[in-house]
Amino acid sequence: MRYLNPRNRAILSEMVRTDFKIRYQNSVLGYLWTLLKPLFLFTILYVVFTYIIPLGKGVEHYPVYLLLGVVLWNFFVESTTIGAGSVVAKGDLIRKISIPRYLVVISSSFSALINLAFSLVVVFIFALFNGIEPSLSWLLIFPLIVELFAFALGVSFYLSALFVKFRDVSYIWEILIQAGFYATPVIYPITKVPVKFEKYLFINPLSQIIQDARYAIVTPTSGTIWSTVHSIFVLTPFVVIILTIIFGGMYFKKNSKNFAEDI
Amino acid sequence: MTTKNEEVAISVRDIHKNFVLPQNKNSSFKHVVVNIVKKNNIVTQKVLDGVSFDIHKGDFFGIIGRNGSGKSTILKLIAGVYSPNSGEIAINGGLTPFIELGVGFNPELSGRDNVFLNGALLGFNRKQMNAMYDEIVEFAELEPFMDQKIKNYSSGMQVRLAFSIAIKAENDILMFDEVLAVGDANFQEKCLNQFIKYKKEGKTIVLVTHDMGSIRRFCNRAALLDHGKLEYIGNPEGAINRYNELNQI
Repeated sequence: MRYLNPRNRAILSEMVRTDFKIRYQNSVLGYLWTLLKPLFLFTILYVVFTYIIPLGKGVEHYPVYLLLGVVLWNFFVESTTIGAGSVVAKGDLIRKISIPRYLVVISSSFSALINLAFSLVVVFIFALFNGIEPSLSWLLIFPLIVELFAFALGVSFYLSALFVKFRDVSYIWEILIQAGFYATPVIYPITKVPVKFEKYLFINPLSQIIQDARYAIVTPTSGTIWSTVHSIFVLTPFVVIILTIIFGGMYFKKNSKNFAEDI
Repeated sequence: MTTKNEEVAISVRDIHKNFVLPQNKNSSFKHVVVNIVKKNNIVTQKVLDGVSFDIHKGDFFGIIGRNGSGKSTILKLIAGVYSPNSGEIAINGGLTPFIELGVGFNPELSGRDNVFLNGALLGFNRKQMNAMYDEIVEFAELEPFMDQKIKNYSSGMQVRLAFSIAIKAENDILMFDEVLAVGDANFQEKCLNQFIKYKKEGKTIVLVTHDMGSIRRFCNRAALLDHGKLEYIGNPEGAINRYNELNQI
């Protein structure tokens, strides 16, 4: 692998380490927050969506179903938002040394990935408490995370390069994320969506990933792209991801040689 | 005292570099629209205008010039931080540039963590850094402070630490931009000793500086840049004389 040779791996690991060390500095509980944050978030969601707005009536293990969706969605938001600003945030470095620019973006995605791992641990504990039996299908979460990571990285490459030139990007992305939250079955069960719209939701790779993850961990009745779309279009989310990576990567590569003077 | 070794370490061929002036840069969509409507011509500044030279293996090569002559830009181009508008730069061997000492130092991290971070940027992994760590700290004379955050270091301490890591770079071509301008007399002495050591080892050194004393003392060749063009290249004394002439005009 030319891109991740030992030298680049060393830089990457130091950058991720630094991010992680900096994040919870000066807080009394420190790293514990990586577990506490999702835990509190879950408690709030649990109370709101089981007692106040029972959106998930009739869905098996809805609290876990909900939490899993929120955790995966939050990873995407975190890694793309931080990723978008990553090149500019590391401007000092980029203006002074010629390390491969993509390392900066990848390191921010990895930092988000570490948070995802902690949150998932909490989800699994919640799942066990809710009486879900662990099964081999839980392992499917790994390829799904790889898919999610690849999608987030592709988006981050495009956004981070664009952000160097247009600082409006961060505001536009925030708005798109808000819209995306409702276009993705995060809080509502996809089974409540009218059947004729359901298949369109799956153009969005995040819908496919979240529903597949729920299928693997929470309930086989979650409603996945595989049970909804029965044609070649079942590949749509994967094509979207591949195109995002190719387009984002090429745009980043083309612009990265000018980062040092454009920042 | 010219080391006649014709093998080229860095070859710079007809480099042109323009910068788009910041006030005309499209930094938001509004500006883009305004600029399309107004048909503003982009104002560019020619920083380097057809510069060519060779640096040979074993050279101690000085680059001098007045402020804004393009010397730091040529260094950044050689370092690969900028890319030229046209022209070519070829580097024969491993190159470690020091545009600034302590690049990537994070003020919120301890001195110790920063050594590892900075080391990674120089191409060392954790294992290699662990092996060198004690030497670095000893050379920097900062042992009691390594667990403190670097934001609490004085600037002199930061530079000392950065320099102690920098000298571990193993590449055979090294470039320095104005390192001598920082630090106290003691630190400068250390820098100078290090340069003498590099010279003995036959490393190729590129030094950008305003300090004519160190050009005289170390360099066997020097280039003078003025207004983005190569004004003089050859022996250091000639470059310095020409430089002084320019300053009198």
